[in-house]
Parts: sequence; C-alpha cells; structure tokens
Amino acid sequence: MSAMRLTGYADKFGVHPGDTIKFLINCDGPSEYKAEIVQMINGDTNPRGPGFIEKPVPGSLDETFSGRKQIIHSGSYGFVEDCKALRVDSFTLQCWIWPTTPTTHPKYWKHGSQGLVTKWMDGKGYGLFINPDGHVEVRVNGATLTSAVKVRDHAWHFIAATFDAETGDLTLYHEPQIQYALDPVVEPVTTKVSEKISHTPVPAAIAAYGSEITDDPLAQSSLPAGVVFTGKYNGKIDTPRICKVALSRLEIETMKLGAQPGLTERRNSGPTGALSEVIVAAWEFSEGIDTIIAKDCGPYRLDARLVNIPTRGMTGHNWSGTVFDWKQAPKEYGAISFHDDDVDDARWEVDFEWTVPEDCKSRFYAAKLTTADGDEDYIPFWVVPRIGEEQSKIAVMVPTISYMAYANEHVACNAGAAELFVYRVPIMQHQNMFLAEHREYGGSIYDTHTDGTGICFSSRLRPILSIRPKYDHFLAQAPWQYPADLHLIYWLETMGYDYDVFTDEDLTYDGLARIENYNVIITGSHPEHNSGTQLDALHNYTQRGGRLMYMGADAWYWVHSFHPAYDDKGRGVVTEMRRCESGIRTWRADPGEYYHAGTGELGGMWRYRGRYLHSVAGVGMSSEGFDVSRYFSRTPDSNDPRVSWAFEGIEYDENLGNFGLVGGGAAGLELDIVDTTLGSPPHTLTVATSAGRHTEAYLLVMEDFGFNQQGLDGTTHPRVRGDIAYHETPNGGACFSFSSIAYCGSLPWNNCDNNISRLTKNVLDRFAMDGPLPAVPESEIKYRGRADYADVEGPVRLPA
Amino acid sequence: MEPIPPKGSPERDSMIKEHKECTESMKGVAGFSILKCKTQGDTTELEGGVHEHPHLKRVLLRMRGESVVGKLIIVCTKVEEEWRIARLSGIRGVPPEFVGDKVYTNEQDAQHDIFLMRLEELPETAGMPEHYNPGWKRRDDNWPVT
Repeated sequence: MSAMRLTGYADKFGVHPGDTIKFLINCDGPSEYKAEIVQMINGDTNPRGPGFIEKPVPGSLDETFSGRKQIIHSGSYGFVEDCKALRVDSFTLQCWIWPTTPTTHPKYWKHGSQGLVTKWMDGKGYGLFINPDGHVEVRVNGATLTSAVKVRDHAWHFIAATFDAETGDLTLYHEPQIQYALDPVVEPVTTKVSEKISHTPVPAAIAAYGSEITDDPLAQSSLPAGVVFTGKYNGKIDTPRICKVALSRLEIETMKLGAQPGLTERRNSGPTGALSEVIVAAWEFSEGIDTIIAKDCGPYRLDARLVNIPTRGMTGHNWSGTVFDWKQAPKEYGAISFHDDDVDDARWEVDFEWTVPEDCKSRFYAAKLTTADGDEDYIPFWVVPRIGEEQSKIAVMVPTISYMAYANEHVACNAGAAELFVYRVPIMQHQNMFLAEHREYGGSIYDTHTDGTGICFSSRLRPILSIRPKYDHFLAQAPWQYPADLHLIYWLETMGYDYDVFTDEDLTYDGLARIENYNVIITGSHPEHNSGTQLDALHNYTQRGGRLMYMGADAWYWVHSFHPAYDDKGRGVVTEMRRCESGIRTWRADPGEYYHAGTGELGGMWRYRGRYLHSVAGVGMSSEGFDVSRYFSRTPDSNDPRVSWAFEGIEYDENLGNFGLVGGGAAGLELDIVDTTLGSPPHTLTVATSAGRHTEAYLLVMEDFGFNQQGLDGTTHPRVRGDIAYHETPNGGACFSFSSIAYCGSLPWNNCDNNISRLTKNVLDRFAMDGPLPAVPESEIKYRGRADYADVEGPVRLPA
Repeated sequence: MEPIPPKGSPERDSMIKEHKECTESMKGVAGFSILKCKTQGDTTELEGGVHEHPHLKRVLLRMRGESVVGKLIIVCTKVEEEWRIARLSGIRGVPPEFVGDKVYTNEQDAQHDIFLMRLEELPETAGMPEHYNPGWKRRDDNWPVT
C-alpha cells in the first residue's frame, strides 16, 4: 500500500477573514506538490451516500511548491545550553528515577540507551544513563561503569555517580528504594578512569543525550535547532543535582536537600556552606509545575527548557498519599514523567500561507495537497468571523478539543482488546498504518505512551491524520468526529442554510461574546471534551434565550484545559486532560495524579466536579456500543403542544432513522438519555427513544452502576437507549438534543429526504427565528420535582 | 470457560455457518456485527448471531480478547475498494504485517476469514490452566485495552 508521503498542519485551526494562515508541509519523496484551498462539504466515501464532495473557493491558492522532507523530533527532555559551569573536571550526579521501560524489545522503535542526566555526545562528556540491558550506567567519555543489577521498572531508585579527576576514581551508587525479601543487596561499584573529561558544545540534557550538532535541514525542527538528542528516557526523574567535585556518600545524602538558600541569615545556596561551593545545578521540578521550565535553584540559574511537554504534577519519590493536589504539597510532586513519544510542536518550517479574503464565508475549509504521482492530503481549518461581524444567524460549534483528544489515535493497533468493544475485527486505514510506524507523530489522549502510561496532552501543532476527510474510524467502521461532522455540513449545504462556524478554542477564549449574536448554535456529533469556560458560555447563552441543537451524544464529559505555557503560540495549542476515577477510560491516571499540570484544576469527568452532563443540553451519556446502529420511535411526549411542531410531516409510528451512513441507523455508537436526577431540567420532554433496540455490544456506562453485574447490555438494560429530548430555557431559549453520535450520519440519506432530516429541519427553522420562541401555555408553568413526581404513577425512585 | 470447538465437530460447523450468514447479511451496513440483518444491508430487523447462539458469542469473545501480539486485523488498502488481512506486532513502532496475498473487495469477507483462521490457530483449551504462563502475573491475561 502507498505510504503517506505528504503530511502537514496549519499554524491555527480557526482563522478570521483578512488574516493569514500558514501551512507546514512534509513532502517526503516527490519533488513538488500542488496546493489549493477547497471548501469541505462531505468527507464520507460510502457509496450509499452522496460521496466525497469538495468545492472550489474564490480567491483560493492554486500553486505548485517544491517538496521537502520535514520530520518530528519527538520524545520529551530538558536541556541547558553549554556553559562554563557545566564543563566540570570532577563531578557528582544524583537523582531519583522511576523507569518504565528499562529494557525494550530489540525491534522497539527507540531501542537503546536512555539518558538520565547527561552532558555527553559521541563519546565525549559525562552523564548518567540506563544502558540497553537495563542497568544504570555512568559514562566518562567512552568509559562506562555499570550497576550490578538491572533497575526494576515502575519503582523508585536513588542513583548517584561520582568522578574524581585527580584520582581517576569513578563510583556508581544504585539504591533501590523498594526492597523485597529475595532482592540481593546492591553495592556501589567503582573503577578507575585515567582520562580527563572531554567537553563539547552539546547542551546538558535531562532524559536524553546529545546525538549530533548539525546544519542538516532535518535537524532544524529539533530544539535547540540543529541539536539532535537521542536516548529519550521513559519514566520519572526527581530532583537531579550536579556538583563539580566527587562527594562522599554522606555529602550526597546531604545534597538531596538541594540548594536550600533559606536558612535564617545564610542566603548562599547549598544545604551546607561547604556544599554551596560545589553546586553546579540543583533542579527542583516541584517549582513551576504549570510551566515548561525546570527551575534550577542553584547559584548559576541553569533553568532547563522542557521540550515536547513531559508530564508534570506527578507524584515524587516522597509522595505521602495524604495530599492529592500538587498545589497543596508541591514538594511531594518533584517528579517529571518523560516519554519517548511526547510531542508539543513539530516545529516545521512554513511552506506556504493563505490570506483569507475579507469576504470569505465562514465555513469548513482545507488545504488540499496533491502530487502528480497521486499522493494526496487535506489539512482542515475553519474560517471564523470576528465577533460582531457574524455572517449568519446559525452557527456550528466545531468540537476541536474533541478532535485534539482523538488526534492520531492508535487504539486499533495498540490495544488487543479493541475488538471487544467494537465487537468485530477493527479495520485500519492507511493513516493508521502510517502512524503505527511513525510514532513520532504522537498519540491521542485515548492512547498510552510507548511505555504504557496514559497520554494526557495533545498538541495541534503537528500533522493530525485523524482530522481528515475520506477517513473511516475503526470505532464506527464509518466516519467519526471530523468526517462525521461533515455529514451535518453536507446537510446544511444541501438544505440551503446559511451558517457560520467557530471552534471550541474560540468559545473557550471569547466566552459568551462569541455566540450571543447567533439565534442558534449547532454542535458536532461528539463534543465530548470541553473546557470549563466553554461550558460556562453555553449555559450563559441558553439562559439568555439562546437556542442549542445538540446533534450527538457523549458530550460535556471530560475536563479539559489549554496549557498556558503555549499561549504565545496561539489559541488552544496544547490541551490537557486526566482520566481519573470514573468514566469510560482507555487508561487510568495513577493515584495522586488527577490535577492538571497547566491550570492546577481537578481533572476527570465534569460530573465529578458537580457539572452534570445532563445540565448542559438536557441529556447525558448512558451507554455506548460500536457494532451497528438502530432507530428511534416517538413517545407520547412528542404530541405535547410544547414540541409537536418538531414532528410536522412525520407520522407517529414511523421508524425514525432506520437508515444511515454510521452503523446503518440514527441511534448508535454512543447514546444519551434524559435523567432529571442527573441534571436534566424536570420539564424536559423525551420525544423519541431507541429503548430496547440495541445489541449486546452496547453497555451501560460504568459511572451509572457501582456493582459489577450481568444485564448491562442493550438486550437487557433499560438505560441502554438514546432519548431525543427538548426543553425550554429562560427568555425564549431552548435545547433540542438528538442524543446519538450516529444521528448526523442519517441526515444525508436519500439526498437528505428522510424523517431525520425533516425533524432536524423543523427544529432548526424554529430555533433560527429572530426573537424569543413563542411562550408556552400558562398551564405548563408549574413546579416540578426531580426524582419526586406527584403526577407520575408508580413508586418514587430516589437516585442512587 | 468456553472451549474452542475442535475441527470436524458439528458445533464448529454450525458456528461457521452462522458466522458466514451474519457476515453476508451485513454487506451494505456502515458498521458490522455478528448478527443477521433480516434484509441484507438494513439494520431495522436483526436476529440470530451472537444474540441467539451463546456458544458462538463466547468463542468470539475469547478470540477478541487474545493478546495483541500477532493478532489478526483488517487493513483497508484502497479506500472503499480493497482490504487485506494483517497481523499486529505488539511492538511500538513496528507496523502490522500483511498475511498472505488475498485482496478483498468488500470489508465484510475478511471478518469471516479471520474467524476461520482463529479457529485453526487457537487450541481447544486456550486460556485454561494448560496454557498458564508467567505473563499472567503481569497483566498479559487482562485483555489490554490500550
């Protein structure tokens, strides 16, 4: 099969008319490629639908550019530029480590030595390493000294090495902090090294070591540019120190205390006066956890720049298990977790740019790249109007945080058990095959790092091959996220609606101002990942009379925040989340690691921060399954005059959506229900439901039960269903929730002539009208309970 | 635990027949399950398959829970046109390798062929004490999710 020789990304997701968007392209092989700007209409190639559709754009770029290869130097590390203080003759290096892959398979993508604390390149310099056999190793130029036993993975070890240039004595201490009954005693090892340390301009590195310093164009996307690091380490490092003499073991113990400049009158650095005179660097990872700077509290201020966003706010070797928020006890959070596949920014050179015409419509667009040999790639972006310059009364909220959460997802390839939840053998696309090999493109927040720890950051400054048209996702065996949202776009275009688009980033940063001028906001099919200010804005909007059409399911689920260290590169560059104690989790955060590093807020599900999913649009997720979709049936609530207008032209007993391009029906993949005990307003009307129709692949969400039990699947459990629901909000506003990720996949069916299309059109036409919606009958103004319904027969059931 | 039915057993033959019929019925559906669409390509009415054959359901679950190393998977090699069977490596950075030369022209038939291949590959007692290995102490047995 063809390799992907064209990949790229843009410097932003959303761009205003009149502004310029830049594109950064890897063209690996072909001498040139053609670039155009196209409008995206439909991304689904399924022959039962309208097929792939793009449209030419007035004022488009249409140029041919020289191709050049660009690569990503992934893997996180810290570095300090070469300086006199680091060019020591003798040394003591010390730190705690918690390695996750001390040994790797010979075919593993980065098999080899891993750097811990190094100033070493090409056989010159010094440093602490883990060698390919899993032993800790100290190097003085080409000489090595290795600990007697392998380091145990996922366990703390204290490591130190001393070198005395006068005597040539080189000593290595490997002190496991966990001792089991049958562990041997690990003694220090010593040797003699006669040569002096040779120094090079290579930076000091944490969690890596220097490979080369070069003018090679491919090295320019490393940081610092031209300096290539290798030996990217997997695991935690806590409080590294460098001293310029060989300390005794007792002095090393004292040096664990670090710079300690705060002893009443004494303000020089060092735990003692004598040690203060030999400190080169004493990094405290417990400081500046919300930054990408590792602070040096020693005399030279050798702060290390952290590259590729290693994870901070991680429990240190001294974590007591009594405090769970790093802000409350930062000294117990002195560890940074490094991964060899972390990536914060591909750092490519710009290849071309496009200035958006002032009269450009706010729509879905893409840079289309092609070569004469048939290579092709699309780089999606969105033209977003400036606030106050809206072009329509309708706006689509593009769920870009969710796109980022799924960016370059590897689950079908990494996870043997992906089959268990999709209930069939997964199908990989060529994007997945490329990513399986090119781990440097980074994973999604659904994946684990190459060392098995969960990925909690995602950057948009890298090619994201899952945000592409013509891409079926293994979960659905159909479009998912971006291409699935194009089903909605195709429908809006076909039905002749005028609409604007904006992204999650825009709403997160702009708040209510971004949406208050629209009559109706339409969501994507699966806006699962959200920032707090985004949810605030949606609540404020519907409270003031705004109308919300929630076109999917499993929304408002996970807490996200944009990492403030990247604010200078644009809006929403890196998003962070933690998978805590509940929710559908493809990995689970370790104890004590639930708080975001960037903002310090508690991660996990919004539900466990008291922001119930159901409170945003009236419904919340209750089940998921990925084999095939089903259809909805109307309920008596649909005849209520408050909502019956939505069903004009639809018979009561029609099967609603027993067709579609996602699972074959409108009710599928992930499903939301009304639950007034979890935040659905008590006046919510459930107008249609898919109850009783789902397969055994559909399972109740784990946050809805506390005891493992049989009977949780679609063939038995009453909560495994989707509920289409409506409720009014104050000031003539309302929410209509379609409660199924597959729903939008039914819109294009039969050229948009179907009952799902009809229902959606009835709702949109009413919601898009100017002014408040018509008042409800006076008789409907009454006080309603949550669990307690006086007007419903049968036993009152209290929430669990 | 459900044994993998041995070669030549009536149970195995009936499972293969049911699996095949479900696979055929799913042609045209933008999704897939081992269930039978009463009308091919239309999920309005579903029957049979894993809902009505508990033995088939359990054997499929056993197969689906197997380790990622060497696990069979489908790769779409030409969008909407061609599919092939491959094996996952279980090693990060080593992409799946194709198995054989067979090129499928629909996305369903490979599902059935993989079922047949797994029936051949899995011993009757897979997952039982006869197959204990030290990996069971390190989560190898825990259907790794990612």
